[in-house]
Amino acid sequence: MIKEILKFFNTIKAGDWFIIILFCALIIVSTKFLWNLPQGEYLEIYKNNKILATYSLNQKITKIINGAKGDTKIIIDNGRVRFVSAPCTKKYCIHQGWINKANQIIICIPNKISISILGNKKNYDSINY
Amino acid sequence: MTLSTINISDRDHQIAKLSAIAIALSLVEFFFPSPIPGVKPGIANIIILYTIFKFDLRMGIWVSIIRVFVTSIILGSFLSPTFFLSLSGALLSLLSLIIFRNLNPKYFSLISFSLIASLAHIIGQFVIVRLWIIPHNGIFYLLPIFILSAFIFGLVNALVTNKLLQLNPKK
Repeated sequence: MIKEILKFFNTIKAGDWFIIILFCALIIVSTKFLWNLPQGEYLEIYKNNKILATYSLNQKITKIINGAKGDTKIIIDNGRVRFVSAPCTKKYCIHQGWINKANQIIICIPNKISISILGNKKNYDSINY
Repeated sequence: MTLSTINISDRDHQIAKLSAIAIALSLVEFFFPSPIPGVKPGIANIIILYTIFKFDLRMGIWVSIIRVFVTSIILGSFLSPTFFLSLSGALLSLLSLIIFRNLNPKYFSLISFSLIASLAHIIGQFVIVRLWIIPHNGIFYLLPIFILSAFIFGLVNALVTNKLLQLNPKK
C-alpha cells in the first residue's frame, strides 16, 4: 500500500506540482476570505471573570488595568487591540498580538485579566456559550 | 415497412460496460454513509478518468453523461435538484477536461486532470446551489470544505486510476 503511494509520487510531473500548489493556494485563500469573522465593535475587559469595563474599538487609547499581580497595559488602536505589557512570566497574552475580529479573546491567567471583542450582535462560540 | 438497423460497434459495447461499472460505483457511493453531508468521494469518476486515458475523451463524455442519467433514474431522483446537481458537476468537469485536453503530457499527468476536473465539479455544483437551491451568501462559508475535499478525493481518484491503468495498459 505505502509502496504503491510512493510509486504514485514518482509519476507526479512538474506541471502536476504546479497544479497541486495552485490548488493548495486556492484552499488557503478561500479559507482566509470566506471564513472571515465579522469585525469587532466593542471591547470587554474582564478581571477575575467579572466584567470591568466596555470600550468602543473605534478609538486610539492606552489603558492600564490593575490585575492580581500588577499592572497590565493594553492598547486599543482603531478596531484592533493588544496587550503591551503584563506582569506574567510567559507573556502569552502579549505574543498573541493584535486581535480585531468579533469573538476573539486574549486571556492572561496569572494576572486574571482577559479581554474579548464583541461584534454588533453576539454570536456564541464554545468558550462564551 | 421500413427496416431500421442499428449497427452496434465494439466501441458501443465498451461504453456500455464502462457505464455499467460507473453506475454501480455511484450506487455503492449513494448507500455508503458520508462523514460530512454533501461531501462525497465521487468514486464513479475513477471509471471516467480511466476511460479517458485508456480510450479517448469522447468515450469518457459518453460514460459520464450515461452515468448521470441512469443513476438518477435508478435512484428515482431524475429531474430533481439532486439530478441537476450531479449533471452540472459532470458537465462542468467534462468542459474543463475539454478545455485542458491539450496540456502537454510531458509535464502534466492524470493527477492534473483529476484535480482540475474535481475542482470544476464542485464549482458546477456550487453555482447550481447558490443560484437555485439555496440562494443565500451564507453557503460560501462551506466552500473551503468543498475545495479541500475536491483536492483530497481528486488525488485519491488519480491514485486509483493510475493503478488501474498500470494493470490494464493502453494497447
